[in-house]
Amino acid sequence: MKLEVVSRSGRSIATLDVNPDSTVAELKKKFYGLKKTYYPARQRFALPVKPGETRGQVLSDDSKRLSDYGLADGGKLEFKDLGPQIGYSTVFFWEYFGPLVVYPLFFFLPQYLYPGTKLPAGGPQHALVQKLACGYWCFHYAKRIVETFTVHKFGHATMPIFNLFKNCGYYWGYAAYVSYFVNHPLYTAPNQTVSVACLAVAGLMQLGNLWSHLILAGLRKPGEKDYKIPKGGLFNFVTCANYTFEIWGWLLFSVSVQSIPAYLFAATGAAQMTQWAIAKHNRLRKLFDGKEGRPKYPRRWIIFPPFL
Amino acid sequence: MKVTTAYLALYNAAQACGWAAILALLAIGVAQRETPEQLYDRAAPLTKLVQGAALLDTLHAAVGLVPSSPAMTLMFWVGRGNALFAVTEPIAALHASWWAVAMLGAWAAAEVIRYPWYAATTLGACPGWLTWLRYTMFIPLFPLGTLAEMALMWAALPELQSRRLYSLALPNAYNWAFDYHVFIRIVLLLYPLLWWQLYSSLLRARAKKLGGGGSGSSKKGGSSASSSGNGGGDGARPPAADILRQETRTKLLKAQ
Repeated sequence: MKLEVVSRSGRSIATLDVNPDSTVAELKKKFYGLKKTYYPARQRFALPVKPGETRGQVLSDDSKRLSDYGLADGGKLEFKDLGPQIGYSTVFFWEYFGPLVVYPLFFFLPQYLYPGTKLPAGGPQHALVQKLACGYWCFHYAKRIVETFTVHKFGHATMPIFNLFKNCGYYWGYAAYVSYFVNHPLYTAPNQTVSVACLAVAGLMQLGNLWSHLILAGLRKPGEKDYKIPKGGLFNFVTCANYTFEIWGWLLFSVSVQSIPAYLFAATGAAQMTQWAIAKHNRLRKLFDGKEGRPKYPRRWIIFPPFL
Repeated sequence: MKVTTAYLALYNAAQACGWAAILALLAIGVAQRETPEQLYDRAAPLTKLVQGAALLDTLHAAVGLVPSSPAMTLMFWVGRGNALFAVTEPIAALHASWWAVAMLGAWAAAEVIRYPWYAATTLGACPGWLTWLRYTMFIPLFPLGTLAEMALMWAALPELQSRRLYSLALPNAYNWAFDYHVFIRIVLLLYPLLWWQLYSSLLRARAKKLGGGGSGSSKKGGSSASSSGNGGGDGARPPAADILRQETRTKLLKAQ
């Protein structure tokens, strides 16, 4: 069948001759053959807008057939270039690698990173909490890197390359901001018992977060693409239980080191996770509406009981 | 009439009166050939009250009373608040600057059009010339106000540094240091960017509202005409490009 590919402004780009039973992936390969700049990961196709819709349905499943989307001879497809893409794992690695390296720099090399501040003779003097905090921070990001390659199952393979710089700027920037103050020669150590206790509980929160990640990774069997209702662990009560543990971890870290930048980092992360959690919660509630044999999404906290 | 409509109409009318009074005070002062310092002393107290109260714009957006973006309105309020309360107020030398008068004047001139427009639109009785003013006068006034704010911040830097205003030095219990004068330097660098974000969104809104956008705006246009968007830009509206795309798609569908 012949399909016309148009741009979002209506301009005709190409005509593709494809088999109705071929998959979206095969369509993308064919289009790549015609337009060498747009490798398959950059391509996004959508059906024309139907009356009552604000936007056309996206051909989001690469394994589905074109006929499944109702495409027939003479049909139109709207093409969007997603821009240069980069793999999810690649972005995750680099955004987590930065904090792993940047934070300890202020701990181990204060003589270079605190110009103008008098340092004690005989090397840097760190309180116990500063040492434990450094260990906690590095463990956290090492854990994230390991999870990226061994636990997480990503819903999409790629993201726009601009995200690499945006995400790295965020993580690396905050790592430097927090580390600069926590490892400062003029750091005022808080009550040691409280600090150590908080970091210990924070460590438990990290384990809870890892447990949540393992549950999420096990939700779909290999090859499945549909959304599932998360079950098990804290997920029975909270939609985004993984975020709950993460927020608690950073909150406890902040209380432990008693530094405003740490609180700012925790707050920023919590704000972003809350946005994501609300979207996910609403998506699942809309999908699992209890009609036509679908299960009904149970009443749950969104991200942080007892508040949200 | 709904309670919310009445409330918004009253709020916007009150703001309009406040800013009109500020403009009148400045006009009287200018007519009497007063010095910048005298003009500032005349207009600043009321401006502080009225501009401070404008935080309600953000509250209205946050609870969904108006379709504006709470983030944009807050950014706008914080920017003005910083220029007025944090920078100009504490530094006496700035009161004698024409930039301070320019800032108050530009703000008042713009708001004395914007708030009546909101009030009239809330009541569904907005004359075309008022819409034209609202979407045109910002073109010179917004850059003037922004320039005045930047000039004042720039002039304030030496005194901000010497007096260490709003700054925190180590060591302290918060394990944080904050140098407000360095912060203002960074703000000065970011100002043109932030200004352009708001300005360009206003230009897009202008193209939609005044440039024959009445036909294409269908349901979005209907709601925006009767809404009373408060705050910085009409940040919640889709950009003109999206409207165009939508229209093209509809045309394509018809042609199929």
